[in-house]
Amino acid sequence: MANITASPSRRLSGSAKRDLAISLVLIAAAVALPFMVDSRYILGQIVLALFYATIASQWNLLFGFSGIFSLAQMAIFAFGGYATAMLCFYFGWNVWAALVPGALGAVVFSLVVGLACLRLTGVYVALLTLAIAQTMYLLIVTDTECFTMVGSICRQFTGGAVGFARFGDLGTRALLKGQWLIGNYAIVALLFAATMVFTYAVVKSPIGLAFRALKDNPGYAVARGINRFQAQLLVFGISAFFTGLAGGFYAAHFQAIGPGILSMSQLMFIIAITVVGGVGTFWGPLVGTVVLVAADELMREAGEFRTLGLGVIIALSIILMPKGLVGRLGDLVRWSRSRRQASVSRKLAEQPAPAGE
Amino acid sequence: MSDILMSILVAGLTSGALYALATVGLSLVWGSMGMLNMAHAAMLTLGGYAAFTFSTALGLPILLGLLGALVVGAAAGALLYLLIVGNLLKNDKATFESNVMIATVGVGIALENAILLTYGGQPLKQPLSVPGALVLGPLTLPNQNILIIATVIVLMIAIALLLSRTRIGRAIRATAQNRDAAQLMGVPVNQVYFQVLVLSGALAGICGVMVSSMTQLSPPLGNDPMLKAFIMCVVAGLGNLPGAVAAAFGLALLEAFVQYAAGARWGFPTLLFVVIAVLIWRPAGLFGRVQIRRM
Repeated sequence: MANITASPSRRLSGSAKRDLAISLVLIAAAVALPFMVDSRYILGQIVLALFYATIASQWNLLFGFSGIFSLAQMAIFAFGGYATAMLCFYFGWNVWAALVPGALGAVVFSLVVGLACLRLTGVYVALLTLAIAQTMYLLIVTDTECFTMVGSICRQFTGGAVGFARFGDLGTRALLKGQWLIGNYAIVALLFAATMVFTYAVVKSPIGLAFRALKDNPGYAVARGINRFQAQLLVFGISAFFTGLAGGFYAAHFQAIGPGILSMSQLMFIIAITVVGGVGTFWGPLVGTVVLVAADELMREAGEFRTLGLGVIIALSIILMPKGLVGRLGDLVRWSRSRRQASVSRKLAEQPAPAGE
Repeated sequence: MSDILMSILVAGLTSGALYALATVGLSLVWGSMGMLNMAHAAMLTLGGYAAFTFSTALGLPILLGLLGALVVGAAAGALLYLLIVGNLLKNDKATFESNVMIATVGVGIALENAILLTYGGQPLKQPLSVPGALVLGPLTLPNQNILIIATVIVLMIAIALLLSRTRIGRAIRATAQNRDAAQLMGVPVNQVYFQVLVLSGALAGICGVMVSSMTQLSPPLGNDPMLKAFIMCVVAGLGNLPGAVAAAFGLALLEAFVQYAAGARWGFPTLLFVVIAVLIWRPAGLFGRVQIRRM
């Protein structure tokens, strides 16, 4: 059905050109955005969406490109956020100084998770990582022992069910006064851009090819000399750095972090973003974020039905478009190209029916 | 001392029975169709609420409520097949495993939320409760616990008989062993999938009633037993039914002891460490076959 006429090398450079063009448009849009959006609420939601997109892109690196269905992504994000917050809270560090150590802490945590999953495949990985994330949540929420006293209030080491607050911010409030949100937007947008550049470099590098080979056919990949243990640990470590860093920025942006981000619904939102956008596609997480955050805002009108709608969207999109919106778009482009070549007259016919009813 | 030991034992055995019921439902589905049903937790909750609706809201006898939970659970399983699984099976086989997991995650969220919207978030009382206790010398066995353990044992025997003695059971076992060979021998594989999901849904319904009779009815009711059932499935090796039952009782007893010795919050982390240790030692679980992946 797919009619590929161009040679592989030309197609690759074509896709690189397309990615570059998309990036340029996105950068222009990102720069123009603060001038066009007046509402503080909308800008705040956009910052939040950028965090989601960052996490989703790293989960996509883990699941979409490497085929490891880990459910510990929010745990790694939370670990980075908590590490940053705790460094600031207990040692009085500046937030900026604590961000990278926090991210490195998340990498170490992710490597430990990766080690535990090393010999496992498929659903076993999913179950074990889910159990690890839930354990982390339970241990934080049920933490009641006093670690230090702040004034007359007892503080638990992990912050307990309340979490941490007021441990410092990104310094944009002091610098930009009323415009601080735009400063934070710029910082988080840069973080997202750095994440995307980094992800692109990884995906196109030999390491990325090794990840993909292991996903597509583990037996063959190992036979061709790819070290599965090494590659699996590497992808756990790589994907954790920017996830943890995003966690640190998240804590600093909201000036608070609590166990709520470890909840199942947050994890599901990240999965939904990736699935709707397109698992294993570079732009999928971004597309998914735009669509789902917009849908979420629209469903806010419906109030209570938000979570219900989210669940239905996840289930429907995996049935109707297993490769996500980006995958469907690719199908559409290929289909229209082959159609144009075949005959111009049938161009107005219906598009092929998606699988399922 | 022996009093405490006995009460830990009774608590461990009761939760072991509940976990076993949840685990068998999961393991059955995984073993025969390679599908991890993340919506199982929501189906448990659905069963609990169905029994509540039939016996409290409609005023029917409690036994009918239990039957209602069974029927509603089975219907949920059937709908899951008709709406989700059947459609996913038509797609690429290689991606079925992860796709079905994601899809059932979505179904689970939607179902749990629908229950929350219908019944509200406040905890409700499950009417199925038996007062009194059986006193045997120094031993005190609450009737409620006896009822749960007895029900689970009866159900286990029924499932074992169904799988080993009936035509349906033979078809399920054949599909679990080798799907393609079963299909070539004339086993209607898709029909088997349907039956397995209905059976697992019915089990989930009853399990939900039992779990909620020990605690209270609330929308996230199924999540905790589900997570533990996942762990037990993994320890036993997914798809191994006798192993799953053994792991459920063993780990539930361990959990009860740890919760007594070190405090309630360490119960779950201990289970997790056991799982990780077991999986490093035997990646396919204690009783699991080394999985041959279809590529």
